[in-house]
Amino acid sequence: MITTQRSISGSSQSPRSPSSQPYLSVSVTDPVKLGNGVQAYISYRVITKTNLPEYQGPEKIVIRRYSDFVWLHDHLFEKYKGIFIPPLPEKSAVEKFRFSSEFIEMRCQALDTFVNRIASHRELQQSEDLRTFLQADEETMERLTSQETGIFKRKPADLMQIFKDVQSRVSDVVLGKEKPVEESNPEYEKLKHYIFELENHLAEAQKHAYRLVKRHRELGQSLSDFGKAVKLLGACEGNSLGKAFSDLGTKSETLSVKLQKEAHQLLMNFEEPLKDYVRSVQSIKATIAERANAFRRQCELAETIKLKEINLNRLVLVRSVKVGEAEFEYNQLKAESEEATRMFEKIMRLMNEEIVHFQEQKTLDMGIAFQEFAKGQARLANGIATAWRSLLPKLEACSSS
Amino acid sequence: MIATQRSVSGSSQSPRSPSSQTYLSVSVTDPVKLGNGVQAYISYRVITKTNLPEYQGPEKIVIRRYSDFVWLRDRLFEKYKGIFIPPLPEKSAVEKFRFSAEFIEMRRQALDIFVNRIASHHELQQSEDLRTFLQADEETMERLRSQETGIFKKKPTDFMQIFKDVQSKVSDVVLGKEKPVEESNPEYEKLKHYIFELENHLAEAQKHAYRLVKRHRELGQSLSDFGKAVKLLGACEGNSLGKAFSELGTKSETLSVKLQKEAHQLLMNFEEPLKDYVRAVQSIKATIAERANAFRRQCELAETTKLKEINLNKLTLMRSDKVGEAEIEYQELKVESEEATRMFEIIVRLMNEEIVRFQEQKTLDMGIAFHEFAKGQARLANGIANAWRSLIPKLEVCSSS
Repeated sequence: MITTQRSISGSSQSPRSPSSQPYLSVSVTDPVKLGNGVQAYISYRVITKTNLPEYQGPEKIVIRRYSDFVWLHDHLFEKYKGIFIPPLPEKSAVEKFRFSSEFIEMRCQALDTFVNRIASHRELQQSEDLRTFLQADEETMERLTSQETGIFKRKPADLMQIFKDVQSRVSDVVLGKEKPVEESNPEYEKLKHYIFELENHLAEAQKHAYRLVKRHRELGQSLSDFGKAVKLLGACEGNSLGKAFSDLGTKSETLSVKLQKEAHQLLMNFEEPLKDYVRSVQSIKATIAERANAFRRQCELAETIKLKEINLNRLVLVRSVKVGEAEFEYNQLKAESEEATRMFEKIMRLMNEEIVHFQEQKTLDMGIAFQEFAKGQARLANGIATAWRSLLPKLEACSSS
Repeated sequence: MIATQRSVSGSSQSPRSPSSQTYLSVSVTDPVKLGNGVQAYISYRVITKTNLPEYQGPEKIVIRRYSDFVWLRDRLFEKYKGIFIPPLPEKSAVEKFRFSAEFIEMRRQALDIFVNRIASHHELQQSEDLRTFLQADEETMERLRSQETGIFKKKPTDFMQIFKDVQSKVSDVVLGKEKPVEESNPEYEKLKHYIFELENHLAEAQKHAYRLVKRHRELGQSLSDFGKAVKLLGACEGNSLGKAFSELGTKSETLSVKLQKEAHQLLMNFEEPLKDYVRAVQSIKATIAERANAFRRQCELAETTKLKEINLNKLTLMRSDKVGEAEIEYQELKVESEEATRMFEIIVRLMNEEIVRFQEQKTLDMGIAFHEFAKGQARLANGIANAWRSLIPKLEVCSSS
């Protein structure tokens, strides 16, 4: 939950006078499995607390499912070009894993983060689609999501394709142009290059973080097997040696539990933020693709207008009857062209602001994630050291007897 | 190296007057690879320091190879039935591993322990074969070693077969006896049962200890990969976040080195004593098989002697001229039978002493091994906790900026 305020009001945040300060606070909780078999899905409670006039305040609770969040994401992506739309957690393909408590918990957290990022973004928080998402009853929501299967359902592959088009200049070939239809802005080039590199390195780091978690688990399991085997040995022996074996075995099993728990924590507190970072970068790439689209459209229209202008002038010279029609078309195109240029410039401006905001937020988020990671590791190691040390006096008794 | 004294002298050990006290101190050192290709092998220096008159003192150095140790073990096993002959490390089948530094070091240590256990055993230390092993020049040793390929080369499977025979009573079928030829000694039954159970549990514990070492290594490797990936990430970012990534990455790599080193230490200090324990138990099983052999032989000869006696009496009654011959045969058999009985009783007596000695020694050895294990784990965990904690202040800077 992140308490926010409208950037319009310009006043500073004051938690002590909630009634006077505008706030919008959202939380995604209580995942519940509904339905049966292949139709089964998870529903979430979305609780909105607000005093904004546009909302049915002060509190509203609705039930939403993953596809509703996708609806919201897609609508925002369409309407707010230039802004980095907060990323969604992935749709899981692995059937078995889909209802594991770990997966559900991670997804619930990620969805909560998603909605809160929208609610605390000065532009996105004003979106009507957000209000619909937070307020509409479940039947209305279902109607809306099933309506837009055709138009708005973008598969990640589509976005990638758009991006690839820009990169490989397929569009040029299609449009019959020879020169590349790309911005020649060195700063922007730097940004794109940085985003690509970042995505690769992040994916690598996230892969290894996942493996690290797996290895913690495996070590924990191995320690548990070892503990059991040593305890059996202890039962077979007698006297002080048997007791020493048992102590060692029991301690190993205890530490195994610790390690498995820490593996889980690592997952929640560190690997997940890394994954979130990766998704954010992918969201930025989608925005870059949109910017490329807008740029190309602007160029196309500029070209087409030039041709139309040449044609119009020719028709005027030959005093053709088609002048009126041509003039009309020309003016229409000119308006479109100006609109396209304005769209593109808006995207550019928004992106520049977004980049700064992104860098700041990311530095903060990753800094916290690393701290939690380092603290968690230190805590775990400390616990392990203490546990082993507590065993030493008992073992000394055995070797001196 | 273990300083020993003859149990015969009966005087207490006094390190300050070495010239008056008898001592026998042996060490196996300096493994060196000799030969080429498939013929390649490792030679060891065996250094004997002693003031015993039977030895060419005060110091003698000879070069020995693994098969020389095997020769010594086989000869002692033949001559000192009833005594648990110290076990040898396994002949390694895996070609690649045969000359790795780790394997060579583990084997050298195990061979050193082997010889020292013999040298400190009150019966075995008086063996002539030990003296030959410690003193003879290399050509003599080679000659002796190659001579006894036929007679003394017992494969481990032979021991198992002997043991299995006793268990499955095949010998009864072969000898045409109906009742089982096994001791019906409840205490001895308990011992055999204990040894079997112990061997199984030890093998399990040793297997899991090995896996534990392997998992430590894998975690270490994973941490190193993670560190590298995070450092690349840091290089891609700038400012405080980049620095934080780099710190995290470097720390991970440092800890990885620590973990890999500890895996090696665990191997040397803990897994190896467990393996040694397993070998000792297998040596005891071989002695149990020898005892069963001696018992069976005693029974066979007792039966045969009885039959001979019956036959002799029959011939005497009939006043046959074969009486004289039969009497000689009978007397011979009687001597053999008494010898077999005496052999068996020696083995029983020795084994009883050996069991007590074995239990004491093992309790001490395993106690030390566990102690080292727990200490090592505590030390490692402490180092890890410190390393992570040292990172936290640097990361705090990042999240507050």
